[in-house]
Amino acid sequence: MKNFKSNRLLNIFLYISLLIISVPIVILLLWTFTARWPWPNLLPKTYSFRAIKEVFAPHAKLFQTLFSSMLLSLAVAILSVIIGTMTARALTLYDFVGKELIALLSIAPNLVPGTVFAMGIHIVFIHMALADTVLGVITVHLIYTLPYSVSIMRDLTQSIGGRLEMQAYVLGASPFKSFIYITLPLLVPGIKTSIGMAYIISSGQYFITLLIGGGKVKTFSVLMVPFIAKGDRALGSAYALIFMMSTLLILIITDRVTKKLPYQNDGGKYRWNWN
Amino acid sequence: MELELRNISVTLSNKKILKFINLKVEDGEFISLLGASGCGKSTLLKTIAGLIDQDEGSVVLGGNIIDKTPAHKRRTVIVFQDLRLFPHMTVAENISFPLKMLGIDKNGRRKEAINLLGKVKLKGYEDMHVDKMSGGQIQRVALARALAAKPMVLLLDESFSSLDINLRKDMQELVLELQREYKITTILVTHDQEEALTMSNRIAFMHNGQIEQYDTPENIFKKPINTIVADYFSKGTYVHGKIINNKFISRLFSSNVDRETGKYKCLIRPSAIKINKFKNGEYIVAEKIYQGDSYLLKLNNTDSNLKLESVVPDFTAIIEGDRVNIELDKDKLIFIPEKQACS
Amino acid sequence: MNKKTPYILIMPIVLLGVIFMFGVINGIVQGFGYIPAFNLNDVTLSYYKEILADPTFLDSLKVSSQISIISSVLAMVLGIILTTALVYTGHTEGRILQVIKLAIIIPHTIVALFTISILSQNGLIARVCYKLGLISAQGDFPLLLYTKNNLGIILSYVWKEVPFVAYFSLALMSGINKTLGEASENLGASKLKTFFYIVLPLSMPSIRKAFLIILTFSFGAYDLPFLLGATVPKALSVQAHIEYVHPDLRHRPYAMAMNGLILAITWAMAGIYYLITKRNKITGDIHEEF
Repeated sequence: MKNFKSNRLLNIFLYISLLIISVPIVILLLWTFTARWPWPNLLPKTYSFRAIKEVFAPHAKLFQTLFSSMLLSLAVAILSVIIGTMTARALTLYDFVGKELIALLSIAPNLVPGTVFAMGIHIVFIHMALADTVLGVITVHLIYTLPYSVSIMRDLTQSIGGRLEMQAYVLGASPFKSFIYITLPLLVPGIKTSIGMAYIISSGQYFITLLIGGGKVKTFSVLMVPFIAKGDRALGSAYALIFMMSTLLILIITDRVTKKLPYQNDGGKYRWNWN
Repeated sequence: MELELRNISVTLSNKKILKFINLKVEDGEFISLLGASGCGKSTLLKTIAGLIDQDEGSVVLGGNIIDKTPAHKRRTVIVFQDLRLFPHMTVAENISFPLKMLGIDKNGRRKEAINLLGKVKLKGYEDMHVDKMSGGQIQRVALARALAAKPMVLLLDESFSSLDINLRKDMQELVLELQREYKITTILVTHDQEEALTMSNRIAFMHNGQIEQYDTPENIFKKPINTIVADYFSKGTYVHGKIINNKFISRLFSSNVDRETGKYKCLIRPSAIKINKFKNGEYIVAEKIYQGDSYLLKLNNTDSNLKLESVVPDFTAIIEGDRVNIELDKDKLIFIPEKQACS
Repeated sequence: MNKKTPYILIMPIVLLGVIFMFGVINGIVQGFGYIPAFNLNDVTLSYYKEILADPTFLDSLKVSSQISIISSVLAMVLGIILTTALVYTGHTEGRILQVIKLAIIIPHTIVALFTISILSQNGLIARVCYKLGLISAQGDFPLLLYTKNNLGIILSYVWKEVPFVAYFSLALMSGINKTLGEASENLGASKLKTFFYIVLPLSMPSIRKAFLIILTFSFGAYDLPFLLGATVPKALSVQAHIEYVHPDLRHRPYAMAMNGLILAITWAMAGIYYLITKRNKITGDIHEEF
């Protein structure tokens, strides 16, 4: 028997939460298109495209930065998935020397704040000529996305296990073909989530990109922050809106691309649970 | 293709699972690996298929040692207990997967898949999705898929144990039918003695990683080599005694039997005891249990602690509390040499 | 099976692991004063000693600790309620969950912007209060940003972390509720009792893990305190960075010593968590992996 009263309270809490999440986004939207929004109005007094125009002004070279930024984070995401899948496979299906160490290493970055690591590796990167380079930035981003990628792929690999691959072997498929035709299609849900997660983490990074990228490698995030710190709210909101939309775009594209792949698993038995 | 195992030993997680297994299966023969859970049957299958490496010994297929051949090239196909159909493929795609690996073109694959579906009596199911099928149907798809791989040896790992009894009998018939048609050397792993007895040309009885006895079903049933094998097929009462000059002598009875002189245990199975109602009989019927076509009678000896069991037809007039005398059917007595009691 | 395969598979992560370890070790070593590039060749504890005595550092420590502890505890409690709400109203999938996921997608830097727009003295809440007659001028609205109480930062973290905790614990609580929760009610326990005796305790492994993640993260994070923090005292990570970029390179070891302390405290938090959960380990199907 359902306890109606408590369910109603929970529902109220749920909707308040949704409100708290949505309202700031709406406000952001409003500010983006605001010309004037004086105190104490609850809605902007006048609207305009000024902020948008300024953001896209030729001298800001926005598209360039945005595009290269998206590519960088996408590269991080794809690398993260590949490395995550490889590592998860090794940890789940094999026994080898140093297995515990690798398992620990996979989650270690969660215990080292990005600032601490970035300041520690900075000099090393300078010596290795990796500072101020795209490769350097990709590397540090990768270090912080891998714990999530490995964890996601590990759960999935564990639930699929080696059983189906074993069956494929005895039916005549080489290890490589077994992986491509049997395991990989079943890993797709995890791959999709991994890419999304890694992209979000990478594109949202500020401090480590700033430090390791120096002035040379600018992601959109780095470009955006000064407008949030100071400067007018409309401009900052415009940048933030563009950031969010570009992220959503990548997530939608990832989703569509993985849906188009042949062999959709049924989702039921092999549903991955991120936990 | 004939299969031979020479001195196979396998250790897993520091435990010795298989100990010096020697086995020879003739071309086209159907044998069972019979034994309780944990005796190493499935491990042996996986070793034959190349999924597990043996510590010692060799696997010989058609006269060639295949130890170095990778699993996917051995043509030793396993149908696993959990069937392992590929969830992201249709029935036809599952069945034609091995054909794809053999390089056959799309049309040829589909044709063969449909052909095999007909053989397993699932015509029309080509494009069904695997998750929509019943247990019995999935079994047959798994079998069809295994056949598509054109196996030299077919390895069935307790494939029928999850089925209810009617489905199981259907599957057993189907497997035998196809095995005879394609003349594939087949090894069935099972813990069900009835299954082994009805289906196999020979049974290899396994216990603790070793083969205790490898013989025809009749011989294993009538002439078990030790008590472990004997008890697996049916329980009974043991009577200790000696055989001297072809005569078995014990406290309970004596009998002429053509065996070597020595100490023996005589196993008296319920089917070896005939019952006669008798007013002052030596035994009293303690319990009468219905079994369908027959009754199981539990008999207690009136003078000693001896307890026996007997099987009587269902039209019997005997009831609990009756006094009876027993008569031993000499042909159904089983004599096991005392030395080989346990491994 | 090929024996060499796992070693090939782990090569990339080993490479990155080495770089990672290098960065961490280098940072720690520099905190002990050993920076040959700057002609600092003695290993010493003096930098650590100095900052531990330095009131600026101790203030920063207080700030970071307050922010992380208060925001994490709040986020955990509210997160539990949100998870419960999602599970018990049957919204474990679908559009409501998408909105929650949206909050997880938005980076801290943009959350800072949200906070400014809403919680500043010029922000939405202030205006609503004015319209409701609760305040009569901008200045009457409490300072939540750029001040010592750091409420703006705390609330920002809570905004991000409540959805995170909910999403993280959702699968486990949903599973427990379906199986064991059902069994419990079948045995005669009310929904409320079932929740507090069965569902919640068995969901704790996920919730605790989420708590540890947000605690350690908010302690050492940079973005929010940088954007919303007071001029003094600054959060630890911000203060460390200031020392790091100081033109006088002799400040470098101080920066690294601070980083070392941030690391030590983070590990201490994890260590305490590990000790506490070790005692309360639930055996059986709930498998807690650290």
